[in-house]
Amino acid sequence: MDLSLTDQQEMLKQAVDDFVSRDAPIETLIELQQTERGFSDEMWRTAGELGWLGMLIPEEYGGSNTGYTDAGVVFEALGKGPVPGPFFSTVLAGEIIKELGDDAQKENYLTRIANGSLIATLAMAEPDYQWGNAGVQLAPNEEGDDYILNGEKSFVYDGHAADLIITAIRTGSDDNDISLLLVDTSIPGVSARKLEGFTSSESSVTFENARVPKSALLGEVNAVAEGLHVALMRATPLLCAYKVGGAQAVFDLSVQYSRDRVQFGRPIGRFQFVQNHIVQLVIHLDSARWTTYEALWKMDTGRQTEAAIHLAKAVTSDGYRHACDYGHEVHAGTGVVREYGLTLYTRQSRSLFHALGEPRYHRRQLAKLMPTLQLDDE
Amino acid sequence: MDFAPSYTPEQEAFRKEVRSWLDDHAPVIEGDQDSPENYAKFRQLGRDLGQRGWLRPTAPVEYGGGGMGFEETVVLYEEMSRRDLSIPPYYDSGGWLGGASILVWGSDEQKQSLLPPIFKGDVVTWQLLTGPEAGSDLAGTQTDAVRDGDDYIVNGEKIYVGGSNGVDMLWTLTRTDPEGERHKNLSWFMIPADLPGITIRPMDLLGDGGEGVGSGVKNTVYFDNVRVPAERLVGGENNGWQVATTHLELEHGAGGSVSRNLWFSRALEWARARQLNGRPLVEDSDAQDRLVEIYEKTEIQRLFGIRNFWMNRTHQSMTYEGPQSSYFRKLSGLDITTALHELFGPYALTNDEITDFSEGALDAYQRSAIVALHPGGTADVQKVLMARRIGMGRSEAERYKAGKTVE
Repeated sequence: MDLSLTDQQEMLKQAVDDFVSRDAPIETLIELQQTERGFSDEMWRTAGELGWLGMLIPEEYGGSNTGYTDAGVVFEALGKGPVPGPFFSTVLAGEIIKELGDDAQKENYLTRIANGSLIATLAMAEPDYQWGNAGVQLAPNEEGDDYILNGEKSFVYDGHAADLIITAIRTGSDDNDISLLLVDTSIPGVSARKLEGFTSSESSVTFENARVPKSALLGEVNAVAEGLHVALMRATPLLCAYKVGGAQAVFDLSVQYSRDRVQFGRPIGRFQFVQNHIVQLVIHLDSARWTTYEALWKMDTGRQTEAAIHLAKAVTSDGYRHACDYGHEVHAGTGVVREYGLTLYTRQSRSLFHALGEPRYHRRQLAKLMPTLQLDDE
Repeated sequence: MDFAPSYTPEQEAFRKEVRSWLDDHAPVIEGDQDSPENYAKFRQLGRDLGQRGWLRPTAPVEYGGGGMGFEETVVLYEEMSRRDLSIPPYYDSGGWLGGASILVWGSDEQKQSLLPPIFKGDVVTWQLLTGPEAGSDLAGTQTDAVRDGDDYIVNGEKIYVGGSNGVDMLWTLTRTDPEGERHKNLSWFMIPADLPGITIRPMDLLGDGGEGVGSGVKNTVYFDNVRVPAERLVGGENNGWQVATTHLELEHGAGGSVSRNLWFSRALEWARARQLNGRPLVEDSDAQDRLVEIYEKTEIQRLFGIRNFWMNRTHQSMTYEGPQSSYFRKLSGLDITTALHELFGPYALTNDEITDFSEGALDAYQRSAIVALHPGGTADVQKVLMARRIGMGRSEAERYKAGKTVE
């Protein structure tokens, strides 16, 4: 038993922390949030150069394959920024291609993901929003060796920035009768519009007579559900780690504010109602942190992960959201001033709440495991 | 990171040794675990463990401990927990926490004389903290100890004390300078329970706090001109608050735990065994949702326990983690009883010999989760501690450091 980071993980954490304080201070991130793309290409390039995008990719495709916990450490540090950008979307796409791609597809895409020259994402949900395979209704027409796509994918993270969109299509009547297409966004008929509002990087992707060759199928027709599930599950704890980093930052900000802000002649952190907000905040933070890192550890050590991952995602989505709510109770008016920075986290706590399934979805998956769940020590 | 202890071949061999030893020594218990016959079996197990140094595995061998390392100790805890046994295997709060305090604060003579009986299981020791006048305000105790020659004369009253099957030693906080400055007028004593002037009377409470075998009853302890030898004062006169930081830190959960909260596995087992509309209850979607609620709380409890266990045993710098774990356990205990109530309906409340399927466990837990809100500091006190340790509204310099812990 050892809950400390390894030396290598400490170095990784330090590298990202250094990068954030040097290149991505909060003032810079506040400006970025208001730009059209919402992230910095330069930061993206740096992440690629430093190898943060290839940590789960095998060495033969240019990755370092260092493991999930190492990648989790990097994602936590990015989330603490919070550094915006298509980091998670691209790593998720890499996991799907790793799981379902043929050799040529892996060679083509994984090498470019690993070195940061390809931005990729997954498009699942549609205007009738629901997470999961049942929500995939976009059915293609077939013309010879091509699929013709007409329709819309909604709430696609980083769709507006992506070079490649792994697009889920309906190819049969059973919920799991879906297929995946590797859609190059430069082809005619594909357009993306970033969704404004209390969102982060969600986009709407529209297909108008977009012609995609059948050679762009990732995996076999109607036979991708299992591989997609495996890849989604593996990537989920990295998204959780990103949120843990954000919740940690909100905790740090709130403690500091409780010391600095004086009302009625005392620092507000001396008032027990204010203290209670931070007490609840740190319980959410630590619940998120340890469920996430245990899931990562289970993945790295080949243990049963299903329950741990669903738990981590439910706890972390709730946890980040509540951490921000409590942070706002501590900060009151100051917290909602854009230039203070707290709302960068709050925005992500909302935008990522439902990413890869909202807490209710993951608790339902956990519930379905109850008849057969085995405890580790049984 | 490694959430599971990693075992060397030597440790695996140790596990085999522990397992086979427990095969021979673990008591067979039927019926009320607190009955005199059953309690005697747990006490015997304590003495048998003590013979091997396993009752206090990490304490120094010279005082009757096992002198064992972290990973080996984990093996021992795991094997005990697998049989639903704890270390020590009966309620011994004063031995557990007082023993730790004496290790840090006791004189050499005191360590030599007081610790071996505790660590070898020869005595049962209760802690006496709360008084009618001093609950959360522990430092406000009005149990007085006045020096008289080679003795102290102790007068006062302590409540919510101990357990159901008698006691040998009382680990007690007293006031040794009524006029003195707050927090600088307190002293600890390890008092033999059979001294003249000590009266122990059971209290009539809602239930026990789920503190293990022999904890079923709480008592009021009256001190009426009790003459206590001065060498029983531990940690220096009027230095009691310093000593208390060690004691309380452990009581507030900083010691951690590697065992699982059993309520999830129990609930799961019953939900699989019971029927609803001709199908196992566990297949009902609402029942599953309640199980998930229990799973979530118990998993987080387990993770906080592991974290604290690891931090404590590897001497990490701890701040708010102990009271956080304690607070979470108290509050989630209530949530779990609610989920169990929804899961099993009115069965959650009865211990009727025929109707109840849980052998009294469900009814007892509905009560003990409520009782457990106060021992070791109320839930609110845990939050106050967290606030100070995190340093809310305080500069780094004003931030309260955690007490010194051992083992």
